[in-house]
Amino acid sequence: MASRDRTARVAVLGTSVQRSRNERRPPRGRNAQLRRLILVGLVLAALALLTISFRSPTSGALHDAQGYGASALRPFEVAAQRVARPFRDAYGYVSGLTGAKAENAKLRREIRELRAQATANEAAASRAAELSALLRFEQGRSYPKDFRPVNTTVISFPAGPFAQQVTIAAGTHQGLALNTPVVTADGLIGRVTNVGPTTAQVTLLNDPDSAVPSVDVTHHVVGLIRHGPRGTLIMDRVAKEQVIEKDDVVVTRGTVDKRYPDFYPYGVPIGKVQQVGRSDIATYLTVEVAPYARFDSLDAVAALVPTNRK
Amino acid sequence: MSAVDGLKAAALLFVAAILQVSVFAQARVLSGRPDLLLVTLVAVALLRGALFGALGGFFAGLLVDTATLAKLGLTSLVLTLAGYWIGRYGETTGRDRAHAPYLSVAVITVLYSFGVLLVHFVLGERAPAGAIARGLLPSIVLNLILTGPVYWLVRRLLRPLDRGDYATEVQLLG
Repeated sequence: MASRDRTARVAVLGTSVQRSRNERRPPRGRNAQLRRLILVGLVLAALALLTISFRSPTSGALHDAQGYGASALRPFEVAAQRVARPFRDAYGYVSGLTGAKAENAKLRREIRELRAQATANEAAASRAAELSALLRFEQGRSYPKDFRPVNTTVISFPAGPFAQQVTIAAGTHQGLALNTPVVTADGLIGRVTNVGPTTAQVTLLNDPDSAVPSVDVTHHVVGLIRHGPRGTLIMDRVAKEQVIEKDDVVVTRGTVDKRYPDFYPYGVPIGKVQQVGRSDIATYLTVEVAPYARFDSLDAVAALVPTNRK
Repeated sequence: MSAVDGLKAAALLFVAAILQVSVFAQARVLSGRPDLLLVTLVAVALLRGALFGALGGFFAGLLVDTATLAKLGLTSLVLTLAGYWIGRYGETTGRDRAHAPYLSVAVITVLYSFGVLLVHFVLGERAPAGAIARGLLPSIVLNLILTGPVYWLVRRLLRPLDRGDYATEVQLLG
């Protein structure tokens, strides 16, 4: 019972309401402390993982665990891809319609044909077409000798503008290793920069860290393919005295000296020269190359594994 | 809050993470990308508080980094802080407010984008602030479009708690 001389303030703030034993909750202060402790623990754990991952990005126990984790997640990603495929195709169709307005007459004709084809085909048929195109490339003349294809699909895409990397559904179990070149039916798309047992990360040609020794097969001019503006590539290190023209075909240069083997075999198509810029103050030509492969709609790809590797 | 809630939240975040890396990461509209995982995390954190937000953010981030063979811990770090912060907002000011999910998603999209940018910058990696800034507005719009259906779904699976279950940190005297 409250005393007779209690004030309103005491009545409101000074007396606690008696709860039954069952209603008693843990003290709020302790809850808050526990919550903050867990937050600090999680942040420290994330920082520790980040540090280990940063120091040894392609080897070590954590990398192996990540590889096995990625393999475990692969079926779910493949399933999600399959479920989303019709929606992606529909999106690609609408997106193609919008983009077609900006194309020239020749491209518009091609797009109309593709549109008719896209309308006629179902999702499974488009997958079959991509795979058969890849097969034609693998059986064609431009396919490099001493390499066997590991056909696979892209299962995840770049998460942001930081790096242009995709994950493919093949890894060390299929014979892939670091720096294995990856192609589509159109041409080179990049190389493996991280590999797990059944998945691998591919750094695309339009990534800022990518550089591919290349050669203009029309004029036999060598250079280095790097990322360029607006989805194009730049053929760097081409001296101003060299002759290079629009529509020249650019392919990988391959190994020149056996003591210093290149990751890429000779002759894999990269793209064609779109524009050549010349400046009085620049040491090199500015050669813009339009890639054959479309990096924004990758699906069926092949990794080129040397036949002398098991 | 029960173990069943934890399982439901884990399942939601798992599905969101898988869909994000395999489907939504490829959907680009005017340089922006929808982030289903971030929107789902915001919904879970708003409905279940800071602890669920932080734990959900950590493990969802780990899942994303594992699936994409990216640097482990990077996404976890930013999503943990995002989940905690939105959870605190949900427990206090944002409680029972109809606009809370939309406001949270808009704000956290900006903070998450710049948070990831900052971590990349600190690691000495490429940190294209211009590209992030260009894609920010479309990303916010896309995430806001996702917010309605995602929040509705999460709310159906994780019923809002009673007021007493929130850790408000307001103590009775005496």
